Amino acid sequence: MSAALAVRDITMRFGGVVALEDVSFDAPGGRVLGIMGPNGAGKTTLFNVISGVQKPTRGSVALGETGLTGRDVAWIAARGVTRTFQTPMMFWGLDVRESIACALATREFGGCFPPGPLRSLVPSGLGWPRRRAADAALRERADALLATMGIGELAARPTESLSFGEERFLELARALAIEPAMLLLDEPLSGLNPDEVEIVLQTIVRARAAGIGVLLVEHAVGELLSVADRVVVLDHGRKIAEGTAREVAADPIVIDAYIGDELG
Amino acid sequence: MIAELWQYVLAGLVSGAIYALVAAGFVLIYQVTGIINFAQGEYVMIGAMTAASLAGAGMPPLEAGAIAIVAAAAAGALSYLLAIRPARDRGATGVTLIFITLGLDVALRGLGLIVWGTNPLSLNAFSTGASIAIFGGAIQPQALWVLGADLVVFGLLYVFFQRTYAGTAVRAAVASPAIASTFGIPLRAFAFWSFIAAAAIGGLGGVVIAPITSATYDMGLTFGLAGFVAAVLGGLESLPGALIGGFVLGIAEKVSGGLISTGWEQGIGFLILVFVLLVRPQGLLGRAVRRA
Repeated sequence: MSAALAVRDITMRFGGVVALEDVSFDAPGGRVLGIMGPNGAGKTTLFNVISGVQKPTRGSVALGETGLTGRDVAWIAARGVTRTFQTPMMFWGLDVRESIACALATREFGGCFPPGPLRSLVPSGLGWPRRRAADAALRERADALLATMGIGELAARPTESLSFGEERFLELARALAIEPAMLLLDEPLSGLNPDEVEIVLQTIVRARAAGIGVLLVEHAVGELLSVADRVVVLDHGRKIAEGTAREVAADPIVIDAYIGDELG
Repeated sequence: MIAELWQYVLAGLVSGAIYALVAAGFVLIYQVTGIINFAQGEYVMIGAMTAASLAGAGMPPLEAGAIAIVAAAAAGALSYLLAIRPARDRGATGVTLIFITLGLDVALRGLGLIVWGTNPLSLNAFSTGASIAIFGGAIQPQALWVLGADLVVFGLLYVFFQRTYAGTAVRAAVASPAIASTFGIPLRAFAFWSFIAAAAIGGLGGVVIAPITSATYDMGLTFGLAGFVAAVLGGLESLPGALIGGFVLGIAEKVSGGLISTGWEQGIGFLILVFVLLVRPQGLLGRAVRRA
């Protein structure tokens, strides 16, 4: 079981605007923690703070014994906390397999570029047997990862040719390739058709089974509640509820602040 | 007439080869840091002056050349550590950093003046012998060293970027710093190495060209500007573009200088620069739209 993510008293102010105030929760490995809240509740800011994009005004984030507060994105990612973005970002110019192999290689070589271990400088194409074996292994692992997600046919496609849904898949596969302890998914279902939603949800379930902790921000409440083990609800930057999907769905404060907002 | 033209083209290949090396330095640093390093030409000067002065003191030319490349690389490392990084840590970006590199250029040239004085230094050619005839034209044996340096440098860069995991990581980080950082690859960490590599490449250019042009403390200005024009011509973000841009500029200089008047040799580069920026600002091999 991988280490738990501990978020403690996170406060984030932008000038006079309070985006997050004293938000605390634990996200254990091998569990899906849903983060709910109306627009502007502070969900993406929370992800930015955890993943190192923004430094919190106050509070701390730790993965197990490792403090992450105030570190940069690459440092935090190298320690096993990675994320996806609301708008998928792509490596233009690489194909799907290469994009994933790049993430795999980073993991393989300890995520410590540069100077990196000297073996990362051994060129391919010279018939150097170990390098050839390493290349083949990376390609196989990339293909295996895609096959597990049920999208093996995308492997050789250039990223420029992907549909929006396929970009989402690739982003998810890339994030999984670095074998994170904690995976932050920012609205991974938005813009997807029902078949695509199913692929992403199954991938999340498999990640959980593999012991990865998943933090899931999602506007599709039904899907979020169907897959989340626990749910934290944010409203105007404060945590207003936390519990199982059933508890949260029945909580009058949540219904009032969130579902009422959406439906009413 | 044709024979004369061919001879100018051959001469242009030699100077173009050095421009290509300087342009490669511009491209490397620009790709990794987003900075246009106008001190790039001074690494050529440091390479040439160090090699010439050491060889003048009796050191074998290859040893002197090797030390000169290390000296240029060290100048690159110091440029980054003393000028660029402190400014970046304090939040400097864009034009501010470019102006800092202009200051760096003046400072390094001044340093060259203090260390070596104003007298030109000469360096013996690495291999002696009669000039080599190519289809009726002729080049000096030293020109082969110059062209060979391009072959080695661009070959190594190709292998590094296209064939090694470390190179792939750099390409990934350049293509999308945001994604690469979620893998644990920090683009910032490559900045130091891009300065070292760019300076070493410039230094090598200085070492191989010194026997042809001789070495002076102010030679960096010419090579820096020409390398910049070559890099822009090639698209600023493409190493093959830098190579082509260098040769196009070198040949254009010698041909126009030879056929029209020698004054054109110095001016044509800027004419090309203006023309490229007006007609095809993305350069020969650059993409029209850079980073979303």
